Amino acid sequence: MSSPAGVIHDIGYQRYEGERLGRGDVFLALYAASLRTAFGLGRSFKAKIFPWIIVGVVAIVGIVIMAIRAQTGEVVIKYAELPEVLGTLMVLFVAIAAPELVSRDLHSGVLPLYFSRPLRPADYALAKLSALVTAIVLVWGGAQVLVFIGAAFSVKGFGNVMNELADAGLGVVYTALYAVVFGSIAILVASLLKRRAVAAAAIVGSFLITGPIVAMFYILPSETAHQLAQLFNPASLVGGVGDWLFEPSSSNEELGIGPFGPLYALVALGLIALCVTLLIARYRKVSKS
Amino acid sequence: MSTVAWITTRGLLGRRRFLLLLPLPILMIGVALIPRFEGVSPQEWAQPVLVAMGFTTLLPIVALIVGTGVLGAEIDDGTITHILSKPLARWRIVVPKLLVAIAVTAASAAVPFYIVGALASGPRLGIGLVVGSTVGAVLYSTIFVALSLISRRPVLLGLVYVIIWEGLLSNLVSGTRVLSVQQYALTIADKASASDLLNGNVSFAVAVVMSIVVTIGFLVLAIRKLSSFSVTGETS
Repeated sequence: MSSPAGVIHDIGYQRYEGERLGRGDVFLALYAASLRTAFGLGRSFKAKIFPWIIVGVVAIVGIVIMAIRAQTGEVVIKYAELPEVLGTLMVLFVAIAAPELVSRDLHSGVLPLYFSRPLRPADYALAKLSALVTAIVLVWGGAQVLVFIGAAFSVKGFGNVMNELADAGLGVVYTALYAVVFGSIAILVASLLKRRAVAAAAIVGSFLITGPIVAMFYILPSETAHQLAQLFNPASLVGGVGDWLFEPSSSNEELGIGPFGPLYALVALGLIALCVTLLIARYRKVSKS
Repeated sequence: MSTVAWITTRGLLGRRRFLLLLPLPILMIGVALIPRFEGVSPQEWAQPVLVAMGFTTLLPIVALIVGTGVLGAEIDDGTITHILSKPLARWRIVVPKLLVAIAVTAASAAVPFYIVGALASGPRLGIGLVVGSTVGAVLYSTIFVALSLISRRPVLLGLVYVIIWEGLLSNLVSGTRVLSVQQYALTIADKASASDLLNGNVSFAVAVVMSIVVTIGFLVLAIRKLSSFSVTGETS
């Protein structure tokens, strides 16, 4: 039997007498704090500039669509098209928020403190990811809700309002799909890089560089290549899933996805699963080092 | 090679950090191989690969990572004070760091541009593209090094500039082309290669004059900014 190597002296600090919360509460606290971080809440003015510029632009677009809808009754952009139209801004938003959420903790080396709590590596990863996804849904889904409010007061009859509500609801669900795909890629890339600046550039690079690949597949002679082209970019991948879900009739056109709709959905789910698995594996490794 | 340049190179490429510069060039070459072996004519695939992938994405993103890495990283960490406290004129700090940034960016762009150019039409186009991408590397690096002295969040500002100004506006709105680094690089590459696969949107004279003006302007700005640089605390 070995003798104790050290002794912890009681030097008279006040004891913590309250209830000790478990893993679930730690998860919720981390999630709430991360959601605030995504918008720079509770931080200096400088941390708020970039996220709120994006929120502002998205909100303005939402208000303009709402105003046009209310004044003329014309549907400029459908609910489901909104995240696609503002996709570039979504790339910028995840490039701003994701490094702020995960690269900071890596850079300042505070992860051992997190993992000395009941929190597990997978919990940390999923709390950060769900905070980013929630932030995206709040911003883009918020714009869709704005448009819905404008539409609900301009259409006649309760039935039409219910139709609008169904469309808007589907639109928000579709936004959530965008959010999960963009968020999981961004958090994964950011979790590999300690420096926020480099992480932001790497995230944008990974989204932008895949765009021309899609354009490249369109110039191949085979029609199947055209229909599969959109698989190679996260934004157009989700766009393809959207085409399959919302416009089954028009998908036979030249730029359509043909009969590959289910494949698009499968690839999107596979991509999310892959990113989340790699993310959790990354934090398992970090927690051991 | 001065000590500043040596330290900068090591900070930029050491400890596996050079791996970060590899994926984009490799992807660009890989994408060019597909239509090459499918037998599609270069007239069709040169535009998306060279312009959309090369000049609009690879060049500015690599320049952004490298250009803000040579100076911005040290400002971020606060280790810039170690260099600033040495008896060195401030331009002797900016210039070697800028040269390292240009060399690294130009080298990581030149290889894929040459290979893709050679695949598309031959060595002449490859050389022309290397000239054009090197001009682009000089311009972007100078802008981003200056940007990392102007703002504490140079990468986010740079990303907004690359995506909104270079990516969206200069390809859609013709008026902003006169003020677009991408268009200068493209025009010079076009002139140097004399190939019909590229077409510059601004005149050659404008591209050359504006390139020189932009480079000197941002270099002077960077040196002036570092001369009056004050070390501030963490700004979250």
